[in-house]
Amino acid sequence: MSCPICAKGSDPKYRPFCSKRCADVDLGRWLRGAYVIPGTLAEEEERASEGAPADPDKPLH
Amino acid sequence: MTETTPKKNEYGAESIKVLKGLEAVRKRPGMYIGDTDDGSGLHHMVYEVVDNGIDEALAGHADYVNVKIHADSSVSVRDNGRGIPVDMHPEEGVSAAEVIMTQLHAGGKFNNTDDDGNAYKVSGGLHGVGVSVVNALSDWLELRVWRNDKEYYARFEKGECVEHVREVGDAPGEKGTEVRFMASSKTHDPEGTFSNLEYSFKTLETRLRELAFLNSGVRIIIEDERPAEAVKTELFYEGGVKEFVKYLDRSKTPVMPEPIYMLGEVRGIGVEIAMWWNDSYHENVLPFTNNIPQRDGGTHLAGLRGALTRTINNYAQSSGIAKKEKVDFTGDDAREGLTCVLSVKVPDPKFSSQTKDKLVSSEVRPAVENLVNEKLGEWFEEHPAEAKSIVGKIIEAALAREAARKARELTRRKTAMDVASLPGKLADCQEKDPALSELFLVEGDSAGGSAKQGRERKNQAVLPLRGKILNVERARFDRMLSSDQIGTLITALGTGIGRDEFNIGKLRYHKIVIMTDADVDGAHIRTLLLTFFFRQMPELIEHGYLYIAQPPLYKVARGKSEVYLKDQAALEDFLIQQGVEGAMLRLGDGQEIAGQDLARLVEEARVIRRILQAFPTHYPQRIIEQAAIAGALLAGRLDADAQGVADEVARRLDLVALEYERGWQGRPTQDHGLRFTRILRGVEEARTLDGPVLRSGEARRLSQHTESLQEAYAKPAKLVRKDRETLIHGPIELLNAVLQEGEKGLSLQRYKGLGEMNPEQLWETTLDPSARTLLQVRIEDVAEADDIFTKLMGDVVEPRREFIQQNALSVENLDF
Repeated sequence: MSCPICAKGSDPKYRPFCSKRCADVDLGRWLRGAYVIPGTLAEEEERASEGAPADPDKPLH
Repeated sequence: MTETTPKKNEYGAESIKVLKGLEAVRKRPGMYIGDTDDGSGLHHMVYEVVDNGIDEALAGHADYVNVKIHADSSVSVRDNGRGIPVDMHPEEGVSAAEVIMTQLHAGGKFNNTDDDGNAYKVSGGLHGVGVSVVNALSDWLELRVWRNDKEYYARFEKGECVEHVREVGDAPGEKGTEVRFMASSKTHDPEGTFSNLEYSFKTLETRLRELAFLNSGVRIIIEDERPAEAVKTELFYEGGVKEFVKYLDRSKTPVMPEPIYMLGEVRGIGVEIAMWWNDSYHENVLPFTNNIPQRDGGTHLAGLRGALTRTINNYAQSSGIAKKEKVDFTGDDAREGLTCVLSVKVPDPKFSSQTKDKLVSSEVRPAVENLVNEKLGEWFEEHPAEAKSIVGKIIEAALAREAARKARELTRRKTAMDVASLPGKLADCQEKDPALSELFLVEGDSAGGSAKQGRERKNQAVLPLRGKILNVERARFDRMLSSDQIGTLITALGTGIGRDEFNIGKLRYHKIVIMTDADVDGAHIRTLLLTFFFRQMPELIEHGYLYIAQPPLYKVARGKSEVYLKDQAALEDFLIQQGVEGAMLRLGDGQEIAGQDLARLVEEARVIRRILQAFPTHYPQRIIEQAAIAGALLAGRLDADAQGVADEVARRLDLVALEYERGWQGRPTQDHGLRFTRILRGVEEARTLDGPVLRSGEARRLSQHTESLQEAYAKPAKLVRKDRETLIHGPIELLNAVLQEGEKGLSLQRYKGLGEMNPEQLWETTLDPSARTLLQVRIEDVAEADDIFTKLMGDVVEPRREFIQQNALSVENLDF
């Protein structure tokens, strides 16, 4: 596992980060609401809400 | 010859005065040379002499300074400069060399009358006291001068000249000065000056290296003859302070390829600066004035800091980075990871103390500030990529600082009171024992409302989360957890946050259940939550406190009985079970299959459908299916009788086709594949199963079912249920027919979200411990979620969009 912020090796003490510093950078982003998963555009929104398409046979668990 | 040279007539009196001056130095050596006990004064003795050589080098007369610690603990310093003037002045009767050695504050001025008289105007001198102080504090001192192709010699003892300057021999072509002194030691003489004469090679080397960096192009050689094996180091740096910062950061990782280098002169003040950012969190800024370090900074450092903060602020504003990150940074943030050497050359510097630890000359600040404002601003404009990474690093520093502060604030909140003061957000439970308490994190207000009504108030708490925000700029809905929500979540959990503050022992619930819709939005909110817990509260996952609820996706009702099904696969299982009930498959040979046997056949049909779906989509599944029944996929079969197999597949395709669409013809192709054609409304339609696909792994897997396929579907079968009959030519038709039968008489509802369930339904399906399924989250699973999260957050816009579309399903179906 590498540090999610700087990609260096993670330190067990600060897992999954490499240091307190990177852990703090990440925390700062959460606390500022900076992590945003971009959504789909309006027309894609509708398609997505129509639900999961085919392949019901695919093992889910 | 110099203003300090005594007049001839006053020689005797003057000489006595000089001796008195040196006597004063011996009485209070600390005032002139520094501490005589801790070694610093002793080393300053060397630096005083070295400074003269460096001045010669800077003036262009010498190209090296050689420092040697002799085995007897005396030290010699030699340069190849012009050599101290040794000529006996016709009127004054004493050489300049003797004056320099015996008169206080005479050092460095002997050549003021030379044509380049101002070369020494900013000469340093560690204390500027001159070499006479070194003489005063030495048991003996020998001076050698090479000048006019001759070698000259003079000797002093305890500051007094015991052998006047005299010519000792020819030295064609040689020039320079050598001073060798034996510092006065208490170990030799109780009246001596220094506690010991233990020179530290390392200390000397460090300072001399500094001088070599600060005086670009001057070669400094340092030798130590005390050890059995003599040590010799040569210090020579042409890049000046730029090389200096590279040397300082030699074991660090820089964030930019080359240091920023600035050189200029503002109103007679020379300024030379090199700056380099590395990925550490430490600031290392070394200010020098006339080669002397200032431990406590001063006006030059203030000028640098002011200009740095200002320039970076300007850049962050103008480039839009500041606006994007919405964070204010301080000078400390800007200097995190900065290594900088700041060297100023000031004609008449003023310091706050004798030790010159702090520069107070006010004219230096604007000089440095102006230069840095101008040059650094330019540099940022010309190096956008580096500027971006520097400012990015600074913003990160600001973020981390801010986060640590917020973490402390959040943690210090009195939990119980604050939980009560989160109205409309957290619906807490009555139970106080964490081991018995559950917290449901529910996506959306309406689902949150249902959950609040449907829950067991005694031990189930509910925190609704809104994860959808309208991105007006882009006309779309983004998913995020607002800072308020994260704050509320942390307060509700009671653990505090941040590496130093988080305390799992204070967790208020030992089951934290993420409850999101079974759609893409829900998957994204879940990914956000999982990533947050994984990164900021990994202990919570490691203790097994984190769960994922399994709300149903379907409700199936027949008459009065209702069944909830969590996903598509469960729904299909259910429909097959219903469809097989009361159904019978009559094979072409008359054999009848029902019950468990039929269920197994349908199960096999599902397996076959999965294999067919694995083929590239341009091969029609129907043709592959029929080819499989015909045995075309069996190894060797095609080689034995290619045309026979082609005919058989074509015959089967005709069976499946509508009456007026028949007429399939089959023939082998050159690459050992099969090609099928028919004329449809006057146009030829061709389908090819080429050699590679017939020999692919999927084909091989499918061929393993040949026997049972032939048994069931060699001749058309009929599915009989109640009064209905359906003709069956292959597994796909069987599966579809059974599913269709299963749906008969059922009412099927698909929940688009948790909000569509009423409180009772939510309790029955998802909250009630006796009926619900909870998936416990393991740390490995979340590491994967983090990976997905990172990709979703990625910087490259196009690939990310593609990723979202492709992975919407797999995010949703994260296997736990």
